[in-house]
Amino acid sequence: MASTSPTKTTVPAKLSMPVELLPTDLARIVSQAHPVLLLSAYYLRFPALVADPVSTLLDSLLPLAAIQIAYAFICLPAVGTTSKPVEKAKSGEKKKTPEASSAKALTVIYAILLSLISVPVLAAVQVLFGAPITTHIPHTLLSSAYVALLAIFPLIYVHGSDGAKWREIASVYSPIDEVFGASVGCFLGAWLGAVPIPLDWDREWQKWPVTIVTGAYAGYMVGKLAGGWLLKGKRIEFD
Amino acid sequence: MAEPPKVFKEAVPKAATGNYNSIAAQYARAKAAKESEDERKVGGILAGFGLGGESAGRRGGAKKESKGAFERLNEVKAQRFRGEWGWVVGFWVWLLCIHAAGLYFFTKGFLLTRLVLEEKSSCTNPPITLSTQFQGAGTPEAGCWHPKTFDKAVVIIIDALRYDFTVLFENSTDNPSQAFHNALPFLYETAEKQPRNAFLLPFIADPPTTTLQRLKGLTTGTLPTFVDAGSNFAGTAIEEDTLLMQMKDAGRRIVHLGDDTWTALFPGYFEEGISRAYDSLNVWDLHTVDNGVTEHIMPLLSKEKRGEWDVMIAHFLGVDHAGHRYGPNHPAMTAKLEQMNVVLREVAAALDEETLLVVMGDHGMDGKGDHGGESDDEVEAALWMYSKRDVFGRTKVDYRTPPATAKERPVNQIDLVPTLALLLGLPIPFNNLGRPIEEAFAGVKGNAWENLAAAARMTAAGIKRYQAAYYVARGVDESTVDGSPKALWTTAETTLGAGKHQNWKDGYTTFLAFQEETLRICRSLWARFDVPCMILGIGILAGGVLALMLYANGNSNDGDAVNDPELDRAELQLELDNFAKGNATALEDETTTRLLFRGALMGSLLGVALCPAIWVMNQSENVLDFGLAVGSISGLLGVWYQDMRRRMSFANPLPTTIWGWLAVIFTVSQSIGFASNSYTIWEDSILLFFVATFGVASAFSSLRLENAADRALGIYHSVAFIALGWAASFSKLCREEQMPYCRSTYYASATSSTSAPWQLIIPFVIAAILPAIVKSFYTGSRSYEGLAPAWISWAFRFGLVLSAIFWTLDAADDGEWFPNFPSGLLKNIRVPIAQTVFALALVAGSIVFGYAPPCISISTTATPTPGSQITNSSGARVTILGFANAHGTRYLLLVTNILLCVLMIQKPMGAGAISLMAWQILTLLEILDLLSLTSSPIGPIVLALLGSFHFFKTGHQATLASIQWESAFIPLHTIRYPWSPVLVALNSFGAQILAASAVPLLVLWKQKPRKKGLLRSVVTALSWHVTYYAVVCLATTMWAGHLRRHLMLYRIFSPKFMTAALVLVVVDVIGICVALVGVRFNGLSVGDVFGWA
Repeated sequence: MASTSPTKTTVPAKLSMPVELLPTDLARIVSQAHPVLLLSAYYLRFPALVADPVSTLLDSLLPLAAIQIAYAFICLPAVGTTSKPVEKAKSGEKKKTPEASSAKALTVIYAILLSLISVPVLAAVQVLFGAPITTHIPHTLLSSAYVALLAIFPLIYVHGSDGAKWREIASVYSPIDEVFGASVGCFLGAWLGAVPIPLDWDREWQKWPVTIVTGAYAGYMVGKLAGGWLLKGKRIEFD
Repeated sequence: MAEPPKVFKEAVPKAATGNYNSIAAQYARAKAAKESEDERKVGGILAGFGLGGESAGRRGGAKKESKGAFERLNEVKAQRFRGEWGWVVGFWVWLLCIHAAGLYFFTKGFLLTRLVLEEKSSCTNPPITLSTQFQGAGTPEAGCWHPKTFDKAVVIIIDALRYDFTVLFENSTDNPSQAFHNALPFLYETAEKQPRNAFLLPFIADPPTTTLQRLKGLTTGTLPTFVDAGSNFAGTAIEEDTLLMQMKDAGRRIVHLGDDTWTALFPGYFEEGISRAYDSLNVWDLHTVDNGVTEHIMPLLSKEKRGEWDVMIAHFLGVDHAGHRYGPNHPAMTAKLEQMNVVLREVAAALDEETLLVVMGDHGMDGKGDHGGESDDEVEAALWMYSKRDVFGRTKVDYRTPPATAKERPVNQIDLVPTLALLLGLPIPFNNLGRPIEEAFAGVKGNAWENLAAAARMTAAGIKRYQAAYYVARGVDESTVDGSPKALWTTAETTLGAGKHQNWKDGYTTFLAFQEETLRICRSLWARFDVPCMILGIGILAGGVLALMLYANGNSNDGDAVNDPELDRAELQLELDNFAKGNATALEDETTTRLLFRGALMGSLLGVALCPAIWVMNQSENVLDFGLAVGSISGLLGVWYQDMRRRMSFANPLPTTIWGWLAVIFTVSQSIGFASNSYTIWEDSILLFFVATFGVASAFSSLRLENAADRALGIYHSVAFIALGWAASFSKLCREEQMPYCRSTYYASATSSTSAPWQLIIPFVIAAILPAIVKSFYTGSRSYEGLAPAWISWAFRFGLVLSAIFWTLDAADDGEWFPNFPSGLLKNIRVPIAQTVFALALVAGSIVFGYAPPCISISTTATPTPGSQITNSSGARVTILGFANAHGTRYLLLVTNILLCVLMIQKPMGAGAISLMAWQILTLLEILDLLSLTSSPIGPIVLALLGSFHFFKTGHQATLASIQWESAFIPLHTIRYPWSPVLVALNSFGAQILAASAVPLLVLWKQKPRKKGLLRSVVTALSWHVTYYAVVCLATTMWAGHLRRHLMLYRIFSPKFMTAALVLVVVDVIGICVALVGVRFNGLSVGDVFGWA
C-alpha cells in the first residue's frame, strides 16, 4: 500500500550459522535420549506437580539442572570451541584434554549464573502477561526458573555473551538449530500454556503455573526436534 | 518513510543558473508569508515549491501558465478527493445498514416472544365451579371466586429491597455485618413475634430484573419476556389482563404514589388529585421520591381520607438509587433502610382491621447495587404481608421464623397475583401462572386445608384455562405437546375427590404440582426461538464480514504507490502537462469503493425491484421485513459479483507474514473462545494477554532494526506499550462469575459504586501529565506548531482540570463533606462544569479542527550552514518544521477532542484507564511507523484490541448490571432525549469510540503532505478495524443462537451478544461520523496548503 516504504528491517550483514552438535556418537545418542529423559521425568513428577506445585518444582529444579548441564556438556559445543566435522576426522578418537573439560565446566558455571539472572526478568514478563503480582510469587519465580533452565541456559552455554549474537537471538533472527529451536519452542509452549487456565473445568492441573510449565516442556521438545531436523538453518521472518 | 525524520527540510530545488529572479521572488514571498503568518498564502507558495523546480527548470517564460494550470489541477484533484470521499461514505453507510439488518433479523428470532392474549377473567365466570359455595359468590363484594378476606390493601414497593436487607443478621468476626444489615428490622420482628399478623418470605423475581419488567410480572402474573428489557427508558401501557384491571372493573379506587413507571404502564387507572407520580430514572436523587411518598401516604391513611380509596400503591425508590449510586455497603444505604423502617412502622400503626399491608421488593441488587440480570442477589427480593386482624398461619411449626436466607421457602413474584386477587375477592387475572401463597390461606392455626385446596384448585383451573387458550391462539393442539401437564390435572382432581370425603391436604399438594409443572413448561415454551430468522440474521452478518474483507483487500491492492520523491515529481509534471493539454482522463480512475458500492446499490435495487414479485408468490407475513431481507442479501450478492468480475484469480487468502497471522489469531481465537463461558467471563485477561503479545512481538521486531536510534525507540515504545496496558489492568470491575479470583478496584470497595478518595487524585494527575505526553509525540516530529500548543497545552488541559474539579465536587456531594451546604448546590455547580467541558471539546474543538491549518512552521534563513544543507543558488533555505507529519499531527487534534469527551464521562478510575489507552495508541503509532507496518492489518486490529480491553478497564463488563446509568446525569439534571442514551453509550463504549476515531492516525501518522492514496489507506485501515468487531459480533451472535438452550444463556452469552452488537453499530457510526469526516477535513486542509498528490 501507499504508506509502505522500502523495508527498514534489513538483515544484519554478517550471517551466523546454525549450531552443530559435537561430532561424537555419544553426543548424538545423548541428544536423542535427552527429550525422552525429560519427558519421562516430567510425566513421573506430574501428579506431584499438580498436588503441590511449589515444592515439586523446587525439588525437581536441581535434577533438571543436572540433566541440562549433562546435555550441554556432552552434546553442545561450549562457547569458544568449535565443532567442525573436519576436526573430528583429524583428531579421531582423541580424548578430551583436561583443560578443555575445565574450560567447559567454567562455561557451565557461567551459563548457570547468567540463567539465574534471567529468572526475575522472565518472571516480570509473566507478570506483564497477566500473572498475579501480589500472590503466587514463588510459583511464578519457579516457572521462570524452569524456562530459564530449558531455554536460556543452553543458549548461553553455546553462544556466551556475544552481543551481536544475542541481538540476533533476542530479535528471533538466529538461524534455527536444535538449541535455538528448542528455546523458541519453549517460549511458544509457555505462551500457549496459558490457554486452558481460564476454563471452568475445575481441574487441579489448571492451577498456576502447571500449564505454563507443561507448555514450556512440550514446546521445548517440539522445538528441539523441529529445530534439529525440519527447520534447521531457516530463519523466522516477521514480514 | 524510511527514517522517522526529526526535522524535514524541504529545500528549494536548485534552479538553473541565471534564473536568479524567480528564486529571489519566491524567497521574498516566502519570507513575507512567514511574517504575515497567512497560512493559505504559504500553502500556495509551498505548492509552488513543489513544482517550482521543474517549472523553473523549464525557464521562466512558461512559468505563468503552468502555475495557473497547476492551481486548476489542484482544484480538480480536490474535487476528485471530495467525490471519492462521497463514494466511501456511501459504502460505509450501506455497510452500517447491512450490520443493522443482520442484527435486526437475528434479534427478532432470538429474543423471547410470547403471545399476548386479549381475554380477561370475569367475576361471574370462574374457570371451574366453586368447590364450596358461599354467600354472595360471584360478586366483588363477597368475593368473586373465593371468599374475600380484606376490603382494602396498601401495597408498598421498596425498589430493590433484597431479602437479606430484611432478615436478622448475627454479627461475627468471620462475617462482619455490612451497612445494609439490621437497618430495617421491623419486618422480621413482626413476622417472628406476631406470626398471625405478619409473615416474611424470600420473593424471587424472574429476570430481567428491571423495574418495568418486574411490575409487569407483579401485576399480570405471567413471565415478562426479554424483548421488553430495552424499554425501561420509556414504559408502554399493558394490554393484558392485570390485577389493576380487575380492581378497576370491580369498582375499586386505586391511588398511586411514587415511581412514575406505574403511570406509564397503567395510564388512567389512578384516582386523580390524590395520586402522585415522581420521575423514576434520576438515580442520583435519593430523596425526592421517598419524601414525596412519605408526605402523601400518612394523610391518606387517616380516618378522614380512608374513604377516598380502596387500594393504595406506594413505590419507594430511595433504596434502589442508594444502591446504584453508593452500593449496598454504604452509610447512605443504612440511612435509607432506617428511614424505610420508620415509614413502615407508622403505616402499619395507622392501618385498620380491614386493610391488608403488603411490602415487597421488585428485585434485589448485586454486590455493587446494580440490577438487571439474573444473578442470585438480583432476583432475591423480600415479601412481607401484614394485617391487624389475625389472618396468617404456618402449616409447620418450623415455618414460624422467617427463612434465614433466600434459598429457603422462597415464593415466586408471580405468586403475589393470585394471592392478592383471592384475598381481595377479585378474579385472578387471565394470564396468571402463579399460585396462592400458603401463609395467607393456611388459617391462624395453619390447618385450613380446605381453604388452601380451594384456592389452589381455583388458581390451577385458571392456569389450565389460560394454557388451553394459549394453545388455541398459537394454533397448536395441546395434546400433541410433549409432557403436557394434563395428566397432573386429572390426578389432582381425583386426589381431591368429591362429596363429603374430600382429601383437602393431598388435593392441595397435587394442584400445586400441576401449577409447578405448567410454570416449568411455560418457561421453556416461551424460550421459543425463530430459528430461520436467526439464521437469516447470521447469514447477513457473515455476508457483511465477507464484503468488508473483500473491500479491505481490494483497497489495499489498489496500486501500490512507489515512494520516491523524484518519481513523484516527474509524475506530477507529466500529469500537469497532460492537464494543460486538456487531457484529464487519467484522473477518473475506477476504485474498489466505487466498484463495490455500485455492486451493492445495483444488487439492492434489483432485489427490491424483484421483491414484490417474490413476495406475492410467497405471501410471507411482513412486507417491510421481507423487503429488508431481500435488499440486504441482493446487495451483498452485488458486492460479491462485482468482486468476482474484477478478480482474475484467487490469491491465497491466508496471511503471508507473522503480523498478518497475529492479526488473524487475535481476532479468530477470541471469537472462537466466546463459545465458552469461561473465555467470555475472562475476556479482559485474554485481551491483556494479546496486548502484551503484540508488544513483545514488536520488541523482537524492533531489535532487527539496523539504525541504533530506531532500534532504541522501537524497544522503548514496545516496552511502554506493554507496561501501559499492564498498568491499566489494575482497574478492574469483576463480574459475579469471576469471583473469587478477581478483586474489584474500580470503586472504593466491591460493595460500593463510588470512587475511593485516593482515586480523586487521578483526574488531576491526568490534567498535569496527559497534555505533556501528547505534546511529546508532537515534538518528536517537530510538529508542535500552528494551533497545537494553544489547543493541547491550554484548552485540552483546561478541560481536564475542569473534569478533575467536577469529580471532586461529585465526591464531596456523595461523601457529604459540606453538610452545611444546601442540598443540590454542589450538583448545580458541577453540572455546568461538565457542560463546559463538552462544549469545549465538541463545539470549540470541532471548530478548531475544522479550520486549523496543519501543525507546521515555516522559516527561511538567508545564510546557509555550509555543507550540511541543500541550498539554492541564492543561499536561501526554507525550513518547514513538522512537514513530515503534517497529516497525522493535525488529525490528532480531533482525537484529543474525542479523548476529552470520553475522559469527562468516565469516573476517575476509568479516566485513568482511558489516559493510559491514549498513551498506548500514541506508542502504537510510533511502533507501526518504525516497523513499516502502517499498511498491515495488525495496526487496526491491535487498536480494536485496545478498545475492547479498555472497555473493561473503564468499569464495564458484558453484563446489564455494569451499565453506569448515572453517567447520564453528569452534564444534565434530568433525563433528556436523545442525550441521556448517548451519554450512557459514550460512557459504556468510550474506549471503542476513542479507538475507532484514532484509526486514521495509524495511516496518517508521519505522512508527508501530498502523499498519494491516503484516503484509500485510511479506508483500508478502517475496514480491518471494523472487521475485528464484525467478526466478534458474528461469532457471539452465532454462539448465542447455537447455545440458546444453555444454562448460562441469559447470564453470559446473551449479554455478550448484545454488547458485541451494540459495539459494532457504535464503531460503524463513529467510523463514518468521526473518522471519515475527520479525514475529509484533514485532507482538504492539508491539500489546500501543500497541494494535492
